[in-house]
Amino acid sequence: MSYQIGGRNLKSRFFIGSGKLSSYTVIPKMVEKAGVEVITVAVRRIDPDAKHENVMDFIPEQCVVMVNTSGARSADEAVRIARIGRELTGSDWIKIEVETDAKYLLPDNEETLKAAEILVDEGFQVFPYISPDLVAAKKLEKAGVAAVMPLAAPIGTNKGITCAALLQPIINEIEIPVIIDAGLGRPSHAASAMELGADAVLANTAIATATDPIMMAVAMAKAVEAGRMAYEMGLLAEKDFADASSPLTGFLRRGA
Amino acid sequence: MIKLNGKEKPECKNIDTLLGEHQYDRKRVAVLVNGEIVKRDNWADFDLKPGDEVDVVTFVGGG
Repeated sequence: MSYQIGGRNLKSRFFIGSGKLSSYTVIPKMVEKAGVEVITVAVRRIDPDAKHENVMDFIPEQCVVMVNTSGARSADEAVRIARIGRELTGSDWIKIEVETDAKYLLPDNEETLKAAEILVDEGFQVFPYISPDLVAAKKLEKAGVAAVMPLAAPIGTNKGITCAALLQPIINEIEIPVIIDAGLGRPSHAASAMELGADAVLANTAIATATDPIMMAVAMAKAVEAGRMAYEMGLLAEKDFADASSPLTGFLRRGA
Repeated sequence: MIKLNGKEKPECKNIDTLLGEHQYDRKRVAVLVNGEIVKRDNWADFDLKPGDEVDVVTFVGGG
């Protein structure tokens, strides 16, 4: 089933990051096997004395490239990186990341909102990475962003959904898509995110640092699909006491 | 001298010659001079002055 996001029709609800890979050469196969349609990249200076392989040479043409503004410490820096990204790709999908805290890499929601307002005005499809704060998400939605990307746990921590009670209100109250990003270390984490009702998830570390990134991307993609299917069907409520699965009559029991 | 990505380098006439000199892949880079983006159509006409800070950037893997 396809869905609408950032002015596009997508099928896959599994976005991947391209960081931390030991080689970009796995990207084409990863994209193909896991059915990925959106992949993130970062903008960096190129050392004039050391040339490396370019990630863009490995990203299949049909993929949507989402440029992140990692490294930005303020709204102004994020805006500048976004403009560079568009100059380089022609892609108007931008993931705003403004982080001033190096230890936990938690996003600065206030600067992110400022950057979002400017970039929406400039015609970007804006995907802000945020701490799971419903109030911030509502302000971003009002500013006209394409989706919000609340974190499940700090980047690269593999802790999974640490704050369901904060993510659920965002999913419930926000009309635009919600993409759960960061901290998802296992397929079960991705499935949980989708069961909560997220529209998509983004994972990077979980895949890139796996022994076999292609296999892990496939595992995560299957989990995303499973979680989404369950969500669409409707999850069952928890109960406090047992509720037998087998009939409670006709027991083969002496004297019964 | 100019600064290219933070390193001191000999001057070049313009952005286009600088990219050629350092063998950058023109299709894959964006260029900023003193923090401002210079569109690729203007690279050949954009003369560099001593002390200019030039950043040549591209995409790398990132989440």
